[in-house]
Amino acid sequence: MSDSKFEPKIMAFVCNWCTYTGADLAGTSRMKYQSNVRMIRVPCTGRIDPMFIIKAFESGADGVLVSGCHPGDCHYTAGNFHARRRWILFRQLLKFVGIDDDRVFFSWVSASEGKKWVDVINEITDTVRTKGPFVNYQNLNKEFTLNG
Amino acid sequence: MADIISIAKSIFENQKAEMIIGYAKATKEGRTRPVVVRTLDEVKELVLNSFCLNNLSTYLTRKENKGKRVAIVAKGCDIKAIVQLIAENQIRRENVYVVGVKCSGVRRGFEGHDSTKIAEKCITCNVKTPHLFDELVEMKGEELPGTDEKAESIVKLEQMTANERFAYWEEQFERCIKCYACRQICPLCYCERCIADKSMPRWIETSPTKRGNFAWNIVRAFHLSGRCIGCNECERVCPAGIPLSLINRKMAKVAKSEFGYESGMDPNAPTLIGTYDVKDKEDFIR
Amino acid sequence: MEEYVISLEGIKGLLENLTREGFNIYAPSKNNDRFVKVKDIDEVALFPDRRPTDISAKECLFPKCEPVFYYKREKNNVEIVDIDPNGNKVLFGLKPCDAASFTIIHKVFNWDYKDKFYNKRFDNSLIIGLACTYLDDYCFCTSVGLSPVSTVGSDILLVRLSDVSFGVIVITDKGGQLVKRYPQLFEKGEPTKSKQVLDSIGGPARKFDHKKVKEWLDNNFETDFFNSIGDICVGCGQCTFVCPTCHCFDIVDEDYLYSEGRRMKNWDGCQFYLFTLHASGHNPRDTQYKRYRQRVNHKFKYYVDRFQEVLCTGCGRCSRGCPVSIDIGDIVSRISKLS
Repeated sequence: MSDSKFEPKIMAFVCNWCTYTGADLAGTSRMKYQSNVRMIRVPCTGRIDPMFIIKAFESGADGVLVSGCHPGDCHYTAGNFHARRRWILFRQLLKFVGIDDDRVFFSWVSASEGKKWVDVINEITDTVRTKGPFVNYQNLNKEFTLNG
Repeated sequence: MADIISIAKSIFENQKAEMIIGYAKATKEGRTRPVVVRTLDEVKELVLNSFCLNNLSTYLTRKENKGKRVAIVAKGCDIKAIVQLIAENQIRRENVYVVGVKCSGVRRGFEGHDSTKIAEKCITCNVKTPHLFDELVEMKGEELPGTDEKAESIVKLEQMTANERFAYWEEQFERCIKCYACRQICPLCYCERCIADKSMPRWIETSPTKRGNFAWNIVRAFHLSGRCIGCNECERVCPAGIPLSLINRKMAKVAKSEFGYESGMDPNAPTLIGTYDVKDKEDFIR
Repeated sequence: MEEYVISLEGIKGLLENLTREGFNIYAPSKNNDRFVKVKDIDEVALFPDRRPTDISAKECLFPKCEPVFYYKREKNNVEIVDIDPNGNKVLFGLKPCDAASFTIIHKVFNWDYKDKFYNKRFDNSLIIGLACTYLDDYCFCTSVGLSPVSTVGSDILLVRLSDVSFGVIVITDKGGQLVKRYPQLFEKGEPTKSKQVLDSIGGPARKFDHKKVKEWLDNNFETDFFNSIGDICVGCGQCTFVCPTCHCFDIVDEDYLYSEGRRMKNWDGCQFYLFTLHASGHNPRDTQYKRYRQRVNHKFKYYVDRFQEVLCTGCGRCSRGCPVSIDIGDIVSRISKLS
């Protein structure tokens, strides 16, 4: 492991109607971007329980992205407005316990923004790659196996 | 102003409530215990002094008490919890008869646990004269010394690096024994089934080991963000001595600075998380 | 019983020697909250007049959580790694109410199923008691058949004769062998002097007859007595967690990344709603008063029925720490007066 380059694991929670379709567009348009991201599609950003983010870190993610429709574009009218308010609080909470802005990311990517999706992923992958593995959180897992 | 016993008597005599939740003397000097009084004979048990630390509003959301007309002895800080419960539609204003306490501050803990100092929440208290009540009663008490060390600790933590903060909380949360006393005592933790008790899927491990402790404490803090009214009962009852008030107060600070919102002040105001504003800031969103 | 005298320096020497033998020393922490592994023997202090630690010594032999085994899955193969709870421990400076708890819970861990984890730890440990001079309104050791100078559960019991010298009462073979291993540290005893000290230690003021408690509980299962307690108990379970004799636990499997994990044994408590919740959704103890009734009955009736012993050492921790000031000593003394 030591001589191979660190490749971050990025977990992305994306909404079905905008970002997922946007990522799809990036794919069908044959745009290339870094393959470090694992996507989980949910109906709406309003569906994303902050617990998901914790669970992603628990499962070994080095960074987490949450992405959905631009304000006003929500398929369910206001899901992303509710989500945004939760993130404002949750982000500050995470910061306070030592999980900084360079581990958790938020974005609006619409169905037509394949290019933006590519940029966002490349950008956060680079940020997390520079930052290195999330050793702090992964250390919490040590007790789960006999020799850590 | 009438004393607590005569107020209680008149509540029963005028049938304003079927039970009174108040404070009684504990078996030992230097502490009180909550008591539920249902008859005129029992009224003499009630007391009111600076040892009345408990936030009794935690009993209002009990299944057994739902729908009943309940009178409650409540300090300003406890009334904030009642206001928040009303705002969250957990209790009805007309079902609760609030005996508001004009409070001079309570102690930090019961005997042996900093009982000579004033509670930190009292130093920054803005509701010494309650903001919602049906009747007022005065708590006479001596001025107690004490400083608000937690406010400094919060600033100190804010100035640390992310790694230092993580290490600090890892050390604090490691002590958690997952007894969930913080949840049980909290007036605003009224979920019938807590996320920590759900096992399909299991969100938070039951074992009191690092990973689950961290998850539990973050989730607890988040579920109370913009709701916690700062009665500090969770910290008082924590057998592991985790400084939960730091995290609760930090979140209250965020709610205030980001949204100008203070929980537990107005029963008719929409709750912070239950609503949104199209103009909420989004400078952190790409 | 043999008796010796040891100096404060001698005690430190003894602990140093035991550390060299491979024992880990556990003693009350500086702020008296629990028993912790001692890093610096010079820091060990003997405070017979300090109140019991917030959390009892039971966690040294019966930890709040421990792995039972680890597992690894690969397709159809499952590999299991068993745990051997090895390590020798000296539990030092236990009050008689803490030491006695091991004698009591020993019975339940050796009754139907022999708990290998508890037993192995117990066999590999040495319990050094300290006669207690602390007293407060919550103590009631004399009402449950013990006393501040009780030798139950200790291998040797220390009695403070002066600031620098302690009487040593040898109780078990393990204790006897300890004295034989280090004869240079022990002098001939002064039974009259230590007896004088022991006699001068008074018992707690709270007194009741636990037989009467059982008598009443035998005949009063359906009762209103616990209603007022159920009204205020928040079900936090701190009483069960700080108790030296509560021994309930829960077993869970915890996965890490779906391919490996551990089976854990964690403390549980009868005050929790989830403790008796059935898979069907039915809960036989659905309200708090039923759960509190269970606690009192288990301690003063069920355990007595099975083991002829009260499941309580009268340390008073549950009442001292209760966030809503429920005082079990008071409740039980009231019950004893009912029959």
